[in-house]
Amino acid sequence: MPRPEPRTITFTIDGQEVQAPENTMLVDAAKHGDVEIPVFCYEPKLGGPVGACRMCLVEIEGIPKLQTGCSTPVKDGMVVYTQTERVKTAQQSVVEFLLINHPLDCPVCDKGGECPLQDITFGWGGGISRFIEPKRHFVKPLELSPLIAIDRERCILCYRCVRFSQEISEDYQLVLLERGAHSYVSTFDGHPYVAPFSGNIIELCPVGALTSRPYRFRARPWDIEGSGSVCTLCPAQCNVTVTVRDERALRVLARQNDEVDDGWLCDKGRFAYQSFHAEERITEPLLRDGGQLRPVTWERALSEAAAGLARAGEASAAIAGGQTTNEEGHLLARLMREALRSPHIDSRRAGSLPLELHRALGNPALQATVGDLEFADAVLVLATDPVNDAPILDLRLRKGVRRHGTQLALAMPGETSLDPAAKLSLRFAPGQGGAFAVALAEALKDGDPDLDRLAGIAGTQTSKLRSLTELLKPARTEEDQRPREVVILFGERLTSGPDGAAAATALLQIAARLGMADVDGAGLLEIPAATNGRGLSEAGVLPNAGPGLSDSALPGGRDARAIAEGLAAGELSAVYLLGSDPLRELPDAELWGRALAGASTVVAHASFLTETIREHADVVFPAEVYAEKEGTVVHPDGRLQRLRPAIARAGGNEGVRAGWQVLSELALRLGLDFDVLSGAMASKRLFEAVPFYAGLTLEEIGGRGVRWQERDAASHFPTGASVADKAPALAAPADPAQAREVAGFRSVWDAVEVEHSPALEFLYPHRETVSG
Amino acid sequence: MSPRGWDTPVDLEREPATIPDPDTTPVPADLRVEIEAHMANYPDRRSAALPALAAAQRVHGWCSPDAIEQTACVMRVTPAYLESVASFYDMLETSPVGRHSVYVCTNISCSLRGADELYEAVLKAAEGGIDGEPINVRAFECLGACDIAPMASVDGVYVGPLSTADVPQLLEDIRSGSPVLPELQLARRLVADPHANSQEFPRHPAEHTARAGAANPDIAPEEASFGAPMEGDRPGPTAAYEPTPEHHEEDES
Amino acid sequence: MAAPVASPKLLFNDIDEPGLCTREVYERRGGYDSLRAALALTPEAVLDQLKASGLRGRGGAGFAMGTKVSFLPKGAMDKYLVCNADESEPGTFKDRELMQKNPHLLIEGLIIASYAAGANRSFIYIRGEYVLQADALDAALVEARNAGYVGEDILGSGHSLSLVVHRGAGAYICGEETGLLDSLEGKRGNPRLKPPFPANQGLYQGPTLINNVETLSTVPTIIRMGGAEYAKLGVETSTGTKLVSVSGHVQRPGNYEIELGIPSREIIYGLAGGPPAGRQVKCWFPGGSSSPVLKAEDLDVPYDFDSLGKAGSMLGSGAIIVVDDSTAILDVAMKTAKFYRHESCGKCTPCREGTNWTVKMLERIDVGEATPMDLEIMASVQEHIIGNCLCVLGDAMAMPIGSMIAKFKDEFEAHIERARLSRGVGDAAGSDLALAAQGTLDAGPETLLASDPSGDQAPGEHAGDPGTHQGGA
Repeated sequence: MPRPEPRTITFTIDGQEVQAPENTMLVDAAKHGDVEIPVFCYEPKLGGPVGACRMCLVEIEGIPKLQTGCSTPVKDGMVVYTQTERVKTAQQSVVEFLLINHPLDCPVCDKGGECPLQDITFGWGGGISRFIEPKRHFVKPLELSPLIAIDRERCILCYRCVRFSQEISEDYQLVLLERGAHSYVSTFDGHPYVAPFSGNIIELCPVGALTSRPYRFRARPWDIEGSGSVCTLCPAQCNVTVTVRDERALRVLARQNDEVDDGWLCDKGRFAYQSFHAEERITEPLLRDGGQLRPVTWERALSEAAAGLARAGEASAAIAGGQTTNEEGHLLARLMREALRSPHIDSRRAGSLPLELHRALGNPALQATVGDLEFADAVLVLATDPVNDAPILDLRLRKGVRRHGTQLALAMPGETSLDPAAKLSLRFAPGQGGAFAVALAEALKDGDPDLDRLAGIAGTQTSKLRSLTELLKPARTEEDQRPREVVILFGERLTSGPDGAAAATALLQIAARLGMADVDGAGLLEIPAATNGRGLSEAGVLPNAGPGLSDSALPGGRDARAIAEGLAAGELSAVYLLGSDPLRELPDAELWGRALAGASTVVAHASFLTETIREHADVVFPAEVYAEKEGTVVHPDGRLQRLRPAIARAGGNEGVRAGWQVLSELALRLGLDFDVLSGAMASKRLFEAVPFYAGLTLEEIGGRGVRWQERDAASHFPTGASVADKAPALAAPADPAQAREVAGFRSVWDAVEVEHSPALEFLYPHRETVSG
Repeated sequence: MSPRGWDTPVDLEREPATIPDPDTTPVPADLRVEIEAHMANYPDRRSAALPALAAAQRVHGWCSPDAIEQTACVMRVTPAYLESVASFYDMLETSPVGRHSVYVCTNISCSLRGADELYEAVLKAAEGGIDGEPINVRAFECLGACDIAPMASVDGVYVGPLSTADVPQLLEDIRSGSPVLPELQLARRLVADPHANSQEFPRHPAEHTARAGAANPDIAPEEASFGAPMEGDRPGPTAAYEPTPEHHEEDES
Repeated sequence: MAAPVASPKLLFNDIDEPGLCTREVYERRGGYDSLRAALALTPEAVLDQLKASGLRGRGGAGFAMGTKVSFLPKGAMDKYLVCNADESEPGTFKDRELMQKNPHLLIEGLIIASYAAGANRSFIYIRGEYVLQADALDAALVEARNAGYVGEDILGSGHSLSLVVHRGAGAYICGEETGLLDSLEGKRGNPRLKPPFPANQGLYQGPTLINNVETLSTVPTIIRMGGAEYAKLGVETSTGTKLVSVSGHVQRPGNYEIELGIPSREIIYGLAGGPPAGRQVKCWFPGGSSSPVLKAEDLDVPYDFDSLGKAGSMLGSGAIIVVDDSTAILDVAMKTAKFYRHESCGKCTPCREGTNWTVKMLERIDVGEATPMDLEIMASVQEHIIGNCLCVLGDAMAMPIGSMIAKFKDEFEAHIERARLSRGVGDAAGSDLALAAQGTLDAGPETLLASDPSGDQAPGEHAGDPGTHQGGA
């Protein structure tokens, strides 16, 4: 779909000539000339302007009436005034009107000090009010949800929150009731506003009408500072600002990055910061002593861990968990391969792909971006439920459908919340995503494919597959010769398990048959099971690949499941769990129970005492939460993003240490010197090790991230397998239960950080394991 | 009347109100059929919101939470969506009301001719309800019948000009279920323009419209008719205007 | 006193003929001949007739109908025609009479207009209170459909049209064309920003033509007479005949079809009989309650779009409300302001808050808690509303209220003084609130908050508004 490419025009505002992109709204265009036009209802994130608050009235030469700057696109030669008497009078009158029913309780209002209404009243108000009648008074604040309090006296009816609910998250639970001056924001019949993205309305509210219940009265704006980082609680990796007071995270706000999150957060990302300061945090090294984990010094813990790993040597293994940074993963891989000579390291949830396929799927020409989801002509969501896998992408898909007419197709074993937005919803049998992909690849093939049989295996309907084919690759018409931009968003589970390789091959065939590599804006986008799944693969945390998906120096690496089997069978004796909780996160908990019980040494790097740690860990290093971390992660679309510490590491001097530091010290004890003395040095080593990251610096990554595919070094990405034309063979019908379990997944909402955030307690009953 | 909504917190124990589950939301069959028929009239099913809510209100007496949920279930929208719509429109009741309604127009033209007194009189007379059931008496904005001011719409039937003396009969007609003040129904009124009709016509008999509807099987008779045909005389359209002497006297300056 | 004028009757001709609402009688009188004639022409030729007629929209804005039709983009796409039958402007009841008694005329006009505009889906949005009229339309629509006038390939012309009678549910704002569209889409009837204009992005975001009942009902006549012939009626910039609803303090309230441009006095006195004996016209709304009021000295202004505009008011929907000298201007202002407060959709600030504030000030004047300074504030509030709102509803209150303050300032002041005296507040003393208003304005509103913490009317209750009241226990 063509994306806007605005040309630059020149217009005049308050006497000065200013250049701005054509057709941007005047309130935005004015900023190019350092002119601020006040707004309340205008919020481009919410879609087109509504012109409700009337705060942005400006004078435009040639138009008799004042115009709303929020809805007037700037044109070449336009002459605009924002400082005339007429404009000032109109602005003052709007402020006066708004303050009629707004209580002056700023001293006790949570928004005070960071309130647009305060700022605009000060900047554009008349300074007096002639309204002497009593103001309206209501009971306040009231609960709107477990997370949000509502103060209806303060509401200025700007429509932002209800527009969010109706047009962004599309949950349509929050509405305006009644009419005129009696209008008020509410839900239906006393039901709470509970929806995955509800917290965004707090940030959208330009007054103190909607406040965060966990944050209420915790701080004043002058008590706090904001620290930019990236939320690593799911693969969506939304950009955030952590509000910090006295080294405590008190709040998480969106830090808008249109390439990643559009400025939205899910409620987990917004409220799970509470877990950072939970009582249950592990804040000091622990050692199993007489069956009990007891606090010890770092020195002791490191020595014990080093000794245990050294004893196991090549029989050691390591699993990196989802929130592991690229740097930590890179150092862990070196520790295993170089210090212990062990190839057994994995970061994928359920098995590796042949390296050739892995590389082919990673081909930079095939990679779709988050933005592509919005502008594509068609998107197929395959074997992933975004709201449970990478929630913020759910909003992006809805946006594409709503604003750009993207045709959305879904292929999942069951219903999902995206179904109402989809043009086409297909089903396949649980665990048969791979078979579905193979069938789709065949359906896209010219000729007379063997479709009925494949559809039967996948548990889907041939007719629906044909509809999907038509949607993805419609017959070209005379007038529309533009190449069709198709994006396939798929979950890691598709390329996992017995049919993983077949599914990967099928995806490559589909990509080839849709000509994705040659079409800008078309491509594949994988949602990994782990937050940093992509980065860990690229850093070499795979059993069959070194840094940059290079051939591994040590052959014979076991994947996660094989590691468990090796531990259970006594072929392996030590395991390093870096932020990984196998009993919770990996398939076959029973096997893992035996594996961990059978291991002679279990070294864990963890933040919370979960069952894995409590029952099985011999040495526990307290791990950082993301707000304490520095390093980089890679977004599913290849964007390297930078974590910066927002708060001090928990536990003081003998408390939590940086991951790179722990790994370096451990390596030293095992005779390997990484020459890493800081987080920045750890990053440098990573950039040196991965050929297609060559030349990267933390500065270049900056606050917005960098997609490595867009840099010259991308040419160093290794070439993958060429695509066969023949339908890949599906594995012999494996144990269906196992196939289902591999394909099943835990929702990102079912997470230890959620459990340890009191504000999110209400979510517990809603946790679900989704079958894939 | 107790304030609705403003001062009430949500019940945190309840589930969020998403689109109702058809398995747990029973909908009367007739209502479902009617709503689905309305939905079929429009390119976007949501356009049926007003007729669907009106239908649910006829079944439930008002747009009760049950009525809203049932409508939402058939329309596949959230109940909040429909509540938001219902509360915007004056004719959709979001609190319980009596089955019979009397809308007394109290806008300018009617009030210039005594509508406020009429409204008070109806309100007072209807205080006890009818046979124990309350009557929904509302002061309504301009009903578009200033030619028969002051007037009222009684269960949708326009009557006027009314005087306070008509009120007892008006209520009695509601009670007995007979046509309300037949002589004063708008349906029978000739146009005021003295030159409009080239010949003498009988006062406009409603039966003609009724017959048009009855001729068509697509329209149920009760939908097409709006009151029994009337016989006999009634005050002409140019009935003498009687100013209400008590009105505004003290305001004369 | 001028004698009643017999204007040509294009819309009201034999409107009371029994059975006119049936196709049988309508066709016997030549009904649907214009449709046949129009379908024999090209859509462009039909449009040319409409343009030649000079017909201006009868809903209130007075925009040239032919031009409006021509704004619709050409080409194959879903286009919509919506008939605005939400007649809600206080004092207006002309469309009601047309729809009730001659529904086929509207349907015929609508089909012809859809042909000219290339619209294939149409809706009549009729206010929910008009039960009788909506029933009449529904019955007529069934007849029209059965006769092949509505549906696929109308009379073999290749033109297809669907038509649905959509009943509103009681909201004045749905008479505003974009509020109507939102309502028709099943939403709250909130007006939309313009641009985009409905001609480009209207109903379901498609090109949409919106016309009033009277406008569309005039179309068959224009086709029958020819546009040029029609244009000879009326005056140059206001052609044709117009239905005028006359109400309030007149002896013969009702609808009259007049030729545009006749003196207003002829309508108010000649046709409607003027105020009752012994009373004089104090002021009159020439075009519904949202038009600025005129006084008795304006009675000779020709009744047409431009003349009324020059006189400082407007023809609007063609609804004349006459107020005689028995009525206090404050009462008229109060009714007007309360109506618009009740009907404000609440979307934009100046209208939502300004209508509310104006009512509160009027109430203070009424109970003797105001000073002449409040009159200035009230006038300034009206100025701050006019031109600054999302739609015209705010202006619709501010213009008449502003005109009343300007034209009846003395009466307002006298009322303030009298009310203060009767409240026992001498002119030297001043009420607490009024003193506060004069003395401590700079302190901001909160310091002036009255001691009553319960505030104004109970939330959700339209106190002072016409509201809901339950008879019975």
